[in-house]
Amino acid sequence: MSLIERWMSRFSLEQLKMTLWRTAYGNKDTFLSRLDPRVLLIWYVFFTVSPWFFYDRTVLVALFAVSLTLALTSRVSGLILFLMGVSTFMNLVYIGVLALFLGGSGDAFLALITLTLKLLIMGLASVAVFTSIDPEKLSDALLALRLPAPFSFGISYGYRMIPILVEQYQDVFASYRMRGCPPARKGILSWRIGYYFCKICVLAFYPTLLNTAKRVRTTVEALEMRGFTYTLVSGDARRLKLSRMSIRPIDGIFCGLSILYVAAAVWAGHQLAL
Amino acid sequence: MKQTHNIMVFVLSMAVFGLSDLVTELIPDVSIGPVEIGIPYFGFVGLILVMLFNPLYAALGASFGELVFGDLLMGDFGGIGEIDGFLVLFIGLWIAGLLVKNPSNRKMIAIAGMIGIGLDQFMSGALDVMKVGFGVADLEAVEGLPESIVILELIENGVEWLVAGILFGIIPAIYMVPRMYGKIEPLMGIRPREPRDVTIGGAVGRLALVAVIVLAFAAVFAYMSEVMDGTGEWAPDFVDQFGQSFIWIGIGIAAVVALIVILLSRRNKPTGGTSISRHV
Repeated sequence: MSLIERWMSRFSLEQLKMTLWRTAYGNKDTFLSRLDPRVLLIWYVFFTVSPWFFYDRTVLVALFAVSLTLALTSRVSGLILFLMGVSTFMNLVYIGVLALFLGGSGDAFLALITLTLKLLIMGLASVAVFTSIDPEKLSDALLALRLPAPFSFGISYGYRMIPILVEQYQDVFASYRMRGCPPARKGILSWRIGYYFCKICVLAFYPTLLNTAKRVRTTVEALEMRGFTYTLVSGDARRLKLSRMSIRPIDGIFCGLSILYVAAAVWAGHQLAL
Repeated sequence: MKQTHNIMVFVLSMAVFGLSDLVTELIPDVSIGPVEIGIPYFGFVGLILVMLFNPLYAALGASFGELVFGDLLMGDFGGIGEIDGFLVLFIGLWIAGLLVKNPSNRKMIAIAGMIGIGLDQFMSGALDVMKVGFGVADLEAVEGLPESIVILELIENGVEWLVAGILFGIIPAIYMVPRMYGKIEPLMGIRPREPRDVTIGGAVGRLALVAVIVLAFAAVFAYMSEVMDGTGEWAPDFVDQFGQSFIWIGIGIAAVVALIVILLSRRNKPTGGTSISRHV
């Protein structure tokens, strides 16, 4: 079996749909999901911006430890962690080798480790936060933080609708395959089969676009029937929608501990240089 | 009704572009050395949407869909790091949409598509290079590193432009846009685009140019201020000559340019400007 055929058989739209369902409906009882989504988002912004201002490796290692712990406790899928590790490693190796090749020295690695640490801290924190935050809560939090309403609506719409859209696309794709005829000869590295699949992938978007246009019109008209645009301008509707969010002591404790931890890391960084 | 149409365009573009992003995740990447050859995204989906509907909302929706479906739903959301990708894709698609006056003109579609995706790739490459400069304190101290990063980014974004912009960009778009033109808009109760809806001449050209200039200014000054404040190891000569006030001059220029943009877009609004989604 050639490479392309093997890939085609391993990754199916069915599997993709399962991943989507898992993200949308799983992982609801982790530590981070107990926090208020608004507090979590603000904390996250600070946590991912702050690494850029530290050039001290001790502080970065400390921050890295926190984000790794959070990622492990919030049940991030192993595949994503693995992919992250591999890509980080590969990046490091490639850039290092290329720098050496172009006449650099071993310093390149030290400089790059700092950057890689920063990127890893941000990546891990992002994965941890966004897998433990419920999509409904996320969209409410964004609304509470005054993001334009179409964005927050888009997130909840996406989480509910995309599995249906994937299914629709799958049907269109299957019908193209049934009516079409696969190439008789495979060609070198079965490029003909690859080309055939890519062509169907592209063509299947034609009916999908038309179908989705109709579907979207129905959705938006139904929304307007229930006063969607009005709720955006009316304060009462907004307050009612957001009333279930509340900031509890655990949020305060979490933020306080984070600040203390970073301060301790900075102090430690001055004491011993890594 | 206009507001409703804009929401419709936004949601449609978000859903379909997000879906296409999921599909590209299924198609494997082939990596040759450090350069990954794969399909970054299906450029044609975004191009079709911005060329047929209101470019602003279609581009916003497409880049947001990429963010939500491609990353958030699949569980690998990069957070803050995704925002620059969002902006860059948005600007690229928006400009591509603004450039197309008549969606049945294939030549126009091809040129606009190449420019739009090219802008996207160019800006994302430039941002990547700057991010490395920002993150590594003593980048200049390491010989050969800046050059190697620039070369890598050039190769990678060039390849991505070929794949997302040409193969899966304008080639399908040239086929689909004229066919869909006048078919998909009535499904949503929107009048198909007419040449007068989009003024390709001065207004758009200026807007695009000025947006790029502002971005470049902002990026350069962000980078310079970081280099000078952060480490103090490397400072360009002109800082010694002009002192710190030089930075403020730069910020001032950027602000003036931004002001001009705002004024220009204000002035263009009453004449119809770029709005295309009116009720039939």
